[in-house]
Amino acid sequence: MNTVFLIARNTFRETVRNKVLYNVLLFAIGIIFLSISFGEWSVFARVQVMQDFGLATMSVAGLLLAVFIGVGMLGREMSRKTLYNVLVKPVPRYQFITGKFAGLLITLALNFGLLSIVFGGTILYMGGSFDSGLIAAITLLLAELSVIISASLLFSTLTTPALAAIFTLGFYVIGHYNDLLELEFMQQQNPLWGFVLKTVYFILPNLEHFNVRSRVVYGMGVGWDFVGMSVLYGALYSLLFLFLASVSMNRKDL
Amino acid sequence: MFAIFNLIAGHPLLTMSLLEFKEVTKSYRKHFWTSRFTAVDELSFRVEEKRIVGFVGPNGAGKTTSIKMLLGLVKPTSGTILLNGRPVSDPKSRVGIAYLSEQPYFYEHLSVWESLEFGYKLMKLPSAARKKEIDRVLETVELTEVAGKRVLELSKGMQQRLSMAQALLGDAHAFIFDEPMSGLDPLGRALFRTIFRSLTERGKSIFFSTHILADIESLCDEIVVLSKGKLVYQGEVDRVLAQGFLGTDIRVSSLDQSLRGQLSDVGCDVSDSSPEESTIFVPKTGDPEWVQKLLFEKGVFCKSITRRNTSLENLLYASSGQESADRNGKKDRS
Repeated sequence: MNTVFLIARNTFRETVRNKVLYNVLLFAIGIIFLSISFGEWSVFARVQVMQDFGLATMSVAGLLLAVFIGVGMLGREMSRKTLYNVLVKPVPRYQFITGKFAGLLITLALNFGLLSIVFGGTILYMGGSFDSGLIAAITLLLAELSVIISASLLFSTLTTPALAAIFTLGFYVIGHYNDLLELEFMQQQNPLWGFVLKTVYFILPNLEHFNVRSRVVYGMGVGWDFVGMSVLYGALYSLLFLFLASVSMNRKDL
Repeated sequence: MFAIFNLIAGHPLLTMSLLEFKEVTKSYRKHFWTSRFTAVDELSFRVEEKRIVGFVGPNGAGKTTSIKMLLGLVKPTSGTILLNGRPVSDPKSRVGIAYLSEQPYFYEHLSVWESLEFGYKLMKLPSAARKKEIDRVLETVELTEVAGKRVLELSKGMQQRLSMAQALLGDAHAFIFDEPMSGLDPLGRALFRTIFRSLTERGKSIFFSTHILADIESLCDEIVVLSKGKLVYQGEVDRVLAQGFLGTDIRVSSLDQSLRGQLSDVGCDVSDSSPEESTIFVPKTGDPEWVQKLLFEKGVFCKSITRRNTSLENLLYASSGQESADRNGKKDRS
């Protein structure tokens, strides 16, 4: 546990000294501020537009950070052989992967914390309230990010950083359209193609479980039991991807 | 009772080996459409503890691949490797093992101090002694003044010293070095040699690959020679050097013609390096002590006496079936 914590701390240190982090962060803060003027365009639903815009920005910022920092970091560790510093010591590879994951998640969680403060500030400025619905939405975004980071680490152990970044983006997109896949395979006439779609549907997580933006924006409320189940769903998928990443890493020549 | 214990403990079959390769093969396929390349081929050898063993071979012989397999960084295609008596797939096999790579690999975001601190913590060493230990290794490799600098700002030689500092952290019982002298200036090399000697004096085991044969002659007890992924030789360095012994060179002030004739009659070869200085070569079949006695009787002053060996390089490359740059015998050991 101590080793995982050490690797996580080193990863955290590395990410907070990475310029990409600040670029994405500034970009996200800029967009959230910009949403004030977007809200002005709407006569009756200024706060709702801002909430929708802010949550979408946080989701995309999280994705960008997971792709640029998460994928790049493990790829760089392998190409520059810096992971030798850790792995020539009596450290199992699964601890290295877990430490990397924890470090990235902590960094991104802190970023989400910062973005949430900016987001909450702008909502309050516009006369809205930072209610439990928004907290639930941000919690679910973080759970989604955990799944994306673990998937990006898995892809990084399997292929080159460029391809891993593309796969992670693809994973995000397909994950959000998983419901459509279900409809597609149910309507599919070709049994082979139907089987492929069905397999993809069951293997990949449905990232729409983490998307409660519409419910929050329209004030429909989000039950904490739903949040709890979704977080559990995300945690299980993260564990599965981390397990697969560890297996893949274990087989890899470094 | 104690004598019996010593007898049992000292038995060769009970001597603990530091590392052992058992019919290890590593083959790669760079792309799925290319044929497999065998980097290490059925390699078997064993290194005992508390020895300094040089791992030698030309470029592409498979030394670095073997070392990476030894540290569990690369998986063998077949065969077994044991380190500290455990299979290398078990991370515990690396307990008490320090490693220094040919290329220093550091986290660029860390400073010299932070790099050492990270390494120290990973080894789970007592936190109370951390500062003292990091100070000690920084002093040993003469990097105290750059402790606060980013690793990125260091020269290659300094980074190599930092690698050595990391290896020296804690009290490893065995050191695995891959081309440790690479990238070092003469002062750095001298420093590393001093560190090697100090480790030897403290009874540490060292297994290191190198291209610098002078280092092997002066530092190693034993050598393992690899060529094209195969073991071509393993044995004591002294034995290799003895096999290459050609004879003795005696440098003298001057020689008259009658003495030259006498020496020539017993198979010695006399050459003049200057009008005031000659060198008598006594072949290994001759008797250098008899020659010295003769010179003493004739009142000839001996300036120096040295052994002439074929170089270790020639011997190693001959054993690997390759041509060396220098096939002629040369003086290389006094």
